[in-house]
Amino acid sequence: MSVPFIKVEDLIFTYDDEDNIDKHYVLKNLSLEIEKGSFVCVLGHNGSGKSTFAKLLNMILTPDSGKIYIDGFDITDPEITENELFEIRRKIGMVFQNPDNQLVATIVEEDVAFGPENLGVEPSEIRRRVDSALETVGMSAYATHAPHRLSGGQKQRVAIAGIIAMEPECIIFDESTAMLDPQGRKEVMNTISKLNREQGITVIHITHNMDEAVKADRVVVINEGEVFLDGTPKEVFSNVAKLRQAGLDVPQVTELFYDLSIHGVDLPSDILCEEEGAEILSAMLKK
Amino acid sequence: MLKDITLGQYFPGKSFLHRIDPRTKVISALLYIAAVFLCQSIMSFIILLAVTLAMIAVSGVPVKIIVKGLKPLIFILAFTTIYNVFFYTGDTILFHWKFITIYLEGVVFAVIMGLRIICLLAGSSVLLTYTTSPIMLTDGIERLLSPLNKIKAPVHEFAMMMSIALRFIPTLVEETDKIMSAQKARGADFSSGGLIKRAKALIPVLIPLFISAFRRASDLAVAMECRCYRGGSGRTRMTKTHFGARDAVLFALTIILGVSIVIVNIYLPIWVI
Amino acid sequence: MTKLKLVDVNYTYSEGTPFRKDALRNINIEIENNCITGLIGHTGCGKSTLVQLLNGLLSPTSGEVIFDGKNIAEKGYDLKTLRHKVGLVFQYPEYQLFEDTVYDDIAFGPKNMGLDKDEIDRRIREAALFVGLEERYLEASPFDLSGGQKRRAAIAGIMAMDPDVLILDEPAAGLDPIGREEILGGIYSYQRKRKNSVVIVSHSMEDMARYSDKLIVMNDGEIFMQGICREVFSEADKLMSVGLDVPQITKFMRSLKSKGVDVRTDIFTVDEAKAEILSKMGGCGNA
Repeated sequence: MSVPFIKVEDLIFTYDDEDNIDKHYVLKNLSLEIEKGSFVCVLGHNGSGKSTFAKLLNMILTPDSGKIYIDGFDITDPEITENELFEIRRKIGMVFQNPDNQLVATIVEEDVAFGPENLGVEPSEIRRRVDSALETVGMSAYATHAPHRLSGGQKQRVAIAGIIAMEPECIIFDESTAMLDPQGRKEVMNTISKLNREQGITVIHITHNMDEAVKADRVVVINEGEVFLDGTPKEVFSNVAKLRQAGLDVPQVTELFYDLSIHGVDLPSDILCEEEGAEILSAMLKK
Repeated sequence: MLKDITLGQYFPGKSFLHRIDPRTKVISALLYIAAVFLCQSIMSFIILLAVTLAMIAVSGVPVKIIVKGLKPLIFILAFTTIYNVFFYTGDTILFHWKFITIYLEGVVFAVIMGLRIICLLAGSSVLLTYTTSPIMLTDGIERLLSPLNKIKAPVHEFAMMMSIALRFIPTLVEETDKIMSAQKARGADFSSGGLIKRAKALIPVLIPLFISAFRRASDLAVAMECRCYRGGSGRTRMTKTHFGARDAVLFALTIILGVSIVIVNIYLPIWVI
Repeated sequence: MTKLKLVDVNYTYSEGTPFRKDALRNINIEIENNCITGLIGHTGCGKSTLVQLLNGLLSPTSGEVIFDGKNIAEKGYDLKTLRHKVGLVFQYPEYQLFEDTVYDDIAFGPKNMGLDKDEIDRRIREAALFVGLEERYLEASPFDLSGGQKRRAAIAGIMAMDPDVLILDEPAAGLDPIGREEILGGIYSYQRKRKNSVVIVSHSMEDMARYSDKLIVMNDGEIFMQGICREVFSEADKLMSVGLDVPQITKFMRSLKSKGVDVRTDIFTVDEAKAEILSKMGGCGNA
């Protein structure tokens, strides 16, 4: 494998927020590499530094020290030009938590066009991209609707379409499912998986919901500003005690298997889904 | 309820009027408004009414929606009508009882004034807000005003601000409703007491509303930056608007409307006001 | 004992306009004293409308809302006092904070009730304790708190009104696992101590399984199921038929049973599952 798509080295960041009564959130010595085309879930409790990490990746925030390379290009270089900066933002799209606060236009398709318009894309090409982006997220039928009449999940899908229309290589979902109901969450998660599978877009999904993390290729747990656990979902979730220490949940079946093994029952620790678990336990009980 | 405000909302469609360049529509609307004020005789009002109804028919916007949009005007309409009916003096007495005298001219004048107000609002909103999305509208205004860029007026920024305001009005209206309900649940009382007490009662609504608006604004600014927004320069638009045959037609029609109203005023001066 | 009940309630939005929508149909429910009732259903199923009927913010199109045996629609009924007795915490209540200090903000409700200063002070401190808000936060500005702390302050504001019925619309929405547990756990112990009536609106079957005594399931403007948790969860098929989820552990037990292991399927917490499986293992002499 050649250079990783994203490479982060010894990232340090402190929040200079004197008004805040609690401690300043810090990223300390965060190092991470992300391969092109992967689906990475960044898991952590609120205030663990996971959202800060996301905002550093496209230079919405600047680190105190440390390096960030995108496709081998050092974006923390103080000499970076405005054009280079905007090229990074085009390559690494970002979808935020509150669907209402990222839609600019009063008509869905005009909102999707906002990004490509900023990039100076030809009008006929913008039209093509908008139509195809809305198609991808399954919102074509709502192209001429007003965003404020849509459900949370639909708004979030429009926001995703707005990013896809900029033809990014990577999309960061900064807790994009946190404010949605289960239905909206499902819609958005399906869209995310689809983008990763069908279009090869690198996905960095930031969440504190473990059900969503199960669907990723790789799970990175950030705690106290550092990488705490890193591996496939099965590898990460088998560390039940450690995850609890980081303020996170595990799937109920994983928890059950963990509790049973504490009682001396010999069971694997990396079971995530109920079918798989039932298979193993039924074989054991019927013996 | 606050949510019921529909005045000035876009009604998506693909009619003749929808497809016209917003710049043409802005100019035509100005001409139309001038024509409304030029109307002086009953004949010219008939023409105006016919044209306005034709525009509504062409636009495909349901009459129901337009009537609903006129609702906020009921008070003004009622006031002007009553005022004119009772206080306008003329020659032909229609009705007389004690100190109340109603003249035929008064009734005619009241009807005409009412029609003028209705046509003014319905016509200009069919030409502009109902058939032009707010973004197209601000875009049109931006381009009409673009010569002002030469004297360094921030025309693009102004247009952007306008369209974002339009985008967030419904969101903030909904939020106001929600905060009011929440404070009511905490025993706040918005509907009793004197003026000062009522104004004070709004503090628990206004502070959260402002804070939320600022939070939204800063979130939106970050989101716009992430979508590579860097001001007006180098920006393209998806809907490339250019003047075409349609625009010429609408333009010609509004000129004809104006001219015919003037001619009718001069040559058919029936019930001139 | 029934504290609050709805009898044949219907509610229609925008009656007489093209936007007319039946939000609630034929609602008959009883909210009992000394009980935590979970209210579950999809977004748009009418939950939010229903809770606003319960404290008189909305009035039913037809039917009766009975509080303490009295119809609240009766002439001369004091709705203001009703709102003191039936407290309602809206979704994302942190967005209603407005005072200079957390202390003053919690005091807003009790002050509107016309209580004296000492009583207000006592209630503020008690409510802060229930939600786990430390003393030192009381003098801080609510806007300097973290998201989770703001949420607690807002909930304390209603608890300090000492309502007979406390209704919370998605009190844990958007919080991470620790935040959820602390908020819901706080509400739970508050109810157990106060022995009043608490209604929690939620999307999370797992949370409701842990914290509620009774469940009301709504679907499409109607009451779909109601009863104690065990009864409701034992009809998993029925819940899933309208697209609602049951806790993963319940699904796991069902799967185990379908594989021929004779286990109970009316289980909805990990601890119960563990006990059941361990007893089966003891029975087989396998552990």
